[in-house]
Amino acid sequence: MSDEYRAMMHRSEVAVSVELQTQDMTLNIGPQHPSTHGVLRLVAQVDGERITSVEPVIGYMHRGYEKLAEVRSYAQMTALVNRIDWVSGFASEVPFIVAVEKLMGIEAPERAQWIRLILTELFRISSHMVFTSSYPLELGATTPLFHVLRERERVLELIEGMTGGRFHPNFNRVGGIKPAAGGGKTQKKVSMDIPEGWLDATRATMERVMLSTHQSDTLVTGNELFKARTVGVGVIPGDKAVEYGLSGPNLRASGVAYDLRKHEYHLPYDQVDFDVISAPGGDCYDRYWVRLQEIRESVKIVLQAIDKIPDGPLRAKAPRVLKVPKGQIYVRGENPKGEFGYYLISEGGQKPYRLKIRSTSFSNLSILPWVLKGALVPDLVAVMGSLDFVLGDVDR
Amino acid sequence: MPAPLNKRSRFAFPGLWKGMWFTLKYLFTPVPTVMYPQEQEIPVPRARGVIALDPEACTVCMLCARECPDWCIYIEGHKEPKAPSKPGGRARTQNELDRFEIDYSLCMYCGICVEVCPFDALYWSPEYEYSTYEVADLIHGKTRLKDWLETVPEPPALEPQGESS
Repeated sequence: MSDEYRAMMHRSEVAVSVELQTQDMTLNIGPQHPSTHGVLRLVAQVDGERITSVEPVIGYMHRGYEKLAEVRSYAQMTALVNRIDWVSGFASEVPFIVAVEKLMGIEAPERAQWIRLILTELFRISSHMVFTSSYPLELGATTPLFHVLRERERVLELIEGMTGGRFHPNFNRVGGIKPAAGGGKTQKKVSMDIPEGWLDATRATMERVMLSTHQSDTLVTGNELFKARTVGVGVIPGDKAVEYGLSGPNLRASGVAYDLRKHEYHLPYDQVDFDVISAPGGDCYDRYWVRLQEIRESVKIVLQAIDKIPDGPLRAKAPRVLKVPKGQIYVRGENPKGEFGYYLISEGGQKPYRLKIRSTSFSNLSILPWVLKGALVPDLVAVMGSLDFVLGDVDR
Repeated sequence: MPAPLNKRSRFAFPGLWKGMWFTLKYLFTPVPTVMYPQEQEIPVPRARGVIALDPEACTVCMLCARECPDWCIYIEGHKEPKAPSKPGGRARTQNELDRFEIDYSLCMYCGICVEVCPFDALYWSPEYEYSTYEVADLIHGKTRLKDWLETVPEPPALEPQGESS
């Protein structure tokens, strides 16, 4: 290479770098993008491939649940709250019912509580399976989706066999679980207890779910391409995660072993043996790994629970027309996505005076501008998908 | 920064071959897909597919219409004089059902109406094949809802231990 050529190259490089002093570009992503789990719009300022700032624009799926609660009775609200986070409907139903029960001074019978626990864990498995199947899809791997969703279908069949609904069970009642199919003379005798063969079917399905997690290990967890896309991407340190109010697997992946099932539970979680999964890294890979391990822990819980489930009534005595005494209460529970809470104020009527919903995904989404600052545009989907939010839960 | 690929894995991609082997294995296992119009899945007896109405049992009490969270049940009725049960007794009136419509484009399948009905007029049926080309056809009237009644299954048997024991 001659000196003249080298000098020319140097000059041209200078010329190019001077010419490329460009302005930041505003990149509008969404509101409809297949990887956003709903309708989320992101307004990103990009400098080449780097994101300098990003602002999520939410509210496209606002359905006004908090206002709706003020004009609906408690029984009607039970059917509505499991539509807030539709991937895990039952888990957001339980805290609401427990809040009403606590204000009314009713405690659900033990059998009902165990059935609630089993169904909550089944929904946790189902929700995490949606994540472990769709997250590789967002990174470009189609195969895991079909293999995981096939097994998730078995879990949904279990839920349907018990409650009658696949996504929206509406199975909780104040004082227990759904007592009967009808209020009349003959239908009242129809009990919504565990149908015959359901427990054996659950055992068999749990085996298949475990097999499916091993398949995920084979296909995804050790895959070099998956690791290259996720390890070290979107790192959230533990203190930042706490600052932004993250909860659930997102928080535990940042090294904070905080699980409401161990700290503040209203279902008999103290009588089952399970571990709180946490990972120190705080990157996308750890968030995936924590959820995959949590499926296994949930399987452990379900298998213990169906052995421990006691006999007894399904419903405590509760009035037919629910009038909740004056008072206020905050009840939270561990949703598959994190802490899900209801702040319920009752003025003594048949309707709540005010219902504040602390939805998980809203808080989990709030860290998005911080974690995406300085990230690459191709990593945007990887980071966003790893936070596992549902837009219905964000906007409610 | 993403983890750098080491030299071996960059060219060998063991994950790729693992995935390919996995796919090959599943090539020879039976497919779980149900080819829908030709073969049909049998829903569980508790499945909430469609609501069936027994018009004779309905007394136009309006409880279901009132409790429905999105008010998709329309009921109209009138009072009709009824002959006294004993000769010489007092003439009575009875509520007659004129119109009972469920708008399935609004219904959210929560089952509150079936639960509150005090006269066993409403039942869940697991039938699901009633999609239409027109939204207006999703409003099922009295006769249509009565047709669903014969598809209502027996409630499933329960586990031996439980509420009853």
